[in-house]
Amino acid sequence: MSSEPIERRVSYLGDRLKISRCTICGKEYFEVRDYCSNCGRKSYEKMALADLFFDKGTLELCTLVNEPTNKFTKLESYVYGVISFHNGKIRVPGRLTDQIIKDDKPLDLTSLEGKEVVPRFRRRYMVNKSDVIPTISLAFTFADEYYPHQEYKVIHPTKEYKLPGIVGYGVYSSSFRIQEGGIERAVPYIDEDSMTAAVESGKLALIHAGVDSACVGKVYVGSESNPYAVKPIASKVAQVLKLGKEDEDTQSVDAVDTEFACKAATSMFKDAAALVNYPNTDVEYTMVIGSDNSQAAPRGCPGGELDLFVGYGGAAFLFGKKDVIAEIEGWYSCTSDTPDFWRRDGEPFPMHGGRFTGDPAYFKHVRKAAVKLMDKLHLKPSDINYFVPHQPNPAFPTKVAKDIGFKEEQYKSALIVNKFGNTYSGCSPMGLAAVLDVAKPEELILVVSYGSGAGSDSYVLRTTSQLLEKRERQKMTVRYQAENPHIKYVDYTTYRRLKLGM
Amino acid sequence: MQNCPAIVAVGRTKFGEHYGKEPEKLIEEAWLGASRECGIERKDLQACYISDYFLPITNKLGLEEGFLSELTELHVPMEVTRSFSAALKTACHAIQAGIYDTVLVGGIEKMTDRWDKIRDDLMLLEDPWSYYAGGTPEVNHELMLRAYIKKYGIKGENLEKLNVALAQIAVKNHVNATKNPNAQYQRSITVEQVIKARKSSRKSLGLFDFAPISDGASALILTSSKKAKKTVNNPIYVLSITSATDYLDYPAREDLTHFTATKLAMKKALQTSMVNPAGLQLLELYDQSTVMEMISLEDLGLCQEGTAWKHIYESCQNLQGYYEINGKKIFTNTNGGLKADGNPLGATGGAQIFEVVKQLQGNAGERQLPSDIQPQYGCSLEIEGFGTKSYVSILGRNHS
Repeated sequence: MSSEPIERRVSYLGDRLKISRCTICGKEYFEVRDYCSNCGRKSYEKMALADLFFDKGTLELCTLVNEPTNKFTKLESYVYGVISFHNGKIRVPGRLTDQIIKDDKPLDLTSLEGKEVVPRFRRRYMVNKSDVIPTISLAFTFADEYYPHQEYKVIHPTKEYKLPGIVGYGVYSSSFRIQEGGIERAVPYIDEDSMTAAVESGKLALIHAGVDSACVGKVYVGSESNPYAVKPIASKVAQVLKLGKEDEDTQSVDAVDTEFACKAATSMFKDAAALVNYPNTDVEYTMVIGSDNSQAAPRGCPGGELDLFVGYGGAAFLFGKKDVIAEIEGWYSCTSDTPDFWRRDGEPFPMHGGRFTGDPAYFKHVRKAAVKLMDKLHLKPSDINYFVPHQPNPAFPTKVAKDIGFKEEQYKSALIVNKFGNTYSGCSPMGLAAVLDVAKPEELILVVSYGSGAGSDSYVLRTTSQLLEKRERQKMTVRYQAENPHIKYVDYTTYRRLKLGM
Repeated sequence: MQNCPAIVAVGRTKFGEHYGKEPEKLIEEAWLGASRECGIERKDLQACYISDYFLPITNKLGLEEGFLSELTELHVPMEVTRSFSAALKTACHAIQAGIYDTVLVGGIEKMTDRWDKIRDDLMLLEDPWSYYAGGTPEVNHELMLRAYIKKYGIKGENLEKLNVALAQIAVKNHVNATKNPNAQYQRSITVEQVIKARKSSRKSLGLFDFAPISDGASALILTSSKKAKKTVNNPIYVLSITSATDYLDYPAREDLTHFTATKLAMKKALQTSMVNPAGLQLLELYDQSTVMEMISLEDLGLCQEGTAWKHIYESCQNLQGYYEINGKKIFTNTNGGLKADGNPLGATGGAQIFEVVKQLQGNAGERQLPSDIQPQYGCSLEIEGFGTKSYVSILGRNHS
């Protein structure tokens, strides 16, 4: 049983950890308040609203929970405690997430107390499959582990470009991996899904771009694992990231989910770029997110062959005309009705057309989109510095790159499937992010996505000198996440359990 | 207290699991006990004050007054509160105001009917945000203990002593319950058992540190002092009943090591009753956990903050059944406390008052304090939520 109005109110406050501060006496309160309880009536209209979403806190006190209440049983055991912010001016309850606590190892709570923690956006607890999914940011991880604290600072743009391009990006994947068949794949923690990864990657993109979230006019979220059949992820992203100007409890922003298998996000790059280029618009920036908790049936079941390659993660890109780090030089898209991979409504896992997914599907579309765009822009493979193909497995991207005429040094920076698995809608966007993490100014990037069903989008991007300036603002690079010492490896059974979620 | 209200009779059921009984059967049993004791009949009642913490949730029973009316064929005013002390406080006000001279105060809870969801309900009602963050009914007790240990720098040998002292609280309460025929657990436990349970749960507090969930009811008949003297020869007077309130949200409170509400309620209770705190030797404390009993000793001013564990440790070495604090013997939870007597939330406060009344009347049977201890007054502390509300009642054999 759940109550939608209650879930919404708790989410409205808890997803961003909204607080109020009395501008007279400075007392802070968790939740939104019209009055300060110290100052009373004179504080009316003198309460400043803020939130702890981009803050870091301190774990003051903690204890182990190993017999949780009914809605938390899937979390098994976790550390719970009191978390303080702003030097103890405000204290909230919270649980630590991303922890698998083993029964046989002693747990030293004293060593955890006093450590810095970062709020994470997660599912709140278990509900029935038909209910609204409750979320919250009263879940925390240690700032000195996988997910560092990063300040969000709005930086005034200095340069306006003639054409739109990418102004910032963020990649999010969890700290869990499974190692199998010579590759590593990202595994969500049990309270994560495509919605939480979309929000986290969008948050990282805002930090990287230094863009005021109020100036974002539209957000597109591409995913094929939205936990809802009807209800956008984009509305959650817009509300939690406060995209567009805030007007009471709504955001002045357009938000939409898109679906076209693994190209749901890349398809929207041109739309997002076109929108900021529209004359006389107040849309300064647009955000495109590709995020998936890539679905696969268990091994041995129909569609289970996908289980060897699926990953988890999201990538968010901000488009605009100011302080651009990569300009869009051109694009090409192709589509054909080729049913190589699909998921019927109501089915939990997608089906897969076996060998049919190779030549008539992936290779045909990727090759066409790459070659056509290079022809259009009078480019040869050797003119391209980085080639970013969609990566459903480690073999396909290498083969298609070689076929088109790319050398290993042109595509190896983009290969992320070996580290994160196939993140479906997030896959070629994460590959693009990996390249932007290492590219130099004035280099050409060719990114080609592939979506089953089927189609490809290709883009040629030219990096600018501002790429290097912004690089310092992002600690959560693709490499940082791929080679992080805090990665936790899980076995197959745990991987399936975590992936199915709460 | 002007127009001092008096308790002329008390009644209660056994606490524990009453699977076969409807909630109304329990309150009937408690009422009949009290009625028989003083000869007051239901037609004499002018009003009823009933408490239950969450009967509408556990038993899907709203308008509890209605079923009482059916049961008693009474149509007098009836009010429902969430704790026994709250009911008693309201009843006392009515008596003091001269509105009634004979009322029933009762409490009831039926927790085992919802045993599978009870911990979710308890935590959600205690503090929703803590629940949303993953809290359980036990966590705040454990966090308060950690805050206490940190604040007073207790470590090494002293920390071990504190842990033993907390275990001794549970052991003492279980010993007391062996003499209480109404108690949920009428058996002794050992310090080793308490500590072993903590180890197996991998936590600072274990199964034997916490009060159980229970079914049960309690009742008392409250009259004006004038009526009391005509009705029975040993009425017990309510010298004061006070309360104070604190935040729902434990982490947001200023003091994480003590219950501010208890301190405030006690301060007011002493002022109102004009009782000399030095004479307080008989106390019923709200030991939802062993930590709560320890902290409450400090909150009520019986010993200096940060020292209760020491006094408990030193005085419990030979299981004498009392704490010796600064040369004075302090008897707490002679009925077994919430730990062993049971904790049917809405009825718990009634069992505490029941015990103080029986002790003051000298009718506590096997549990009666040693003959050299003849307290003139006793004190009961009831807490709602995790320190969100505290009620302090001071009862006396005489009133001024």
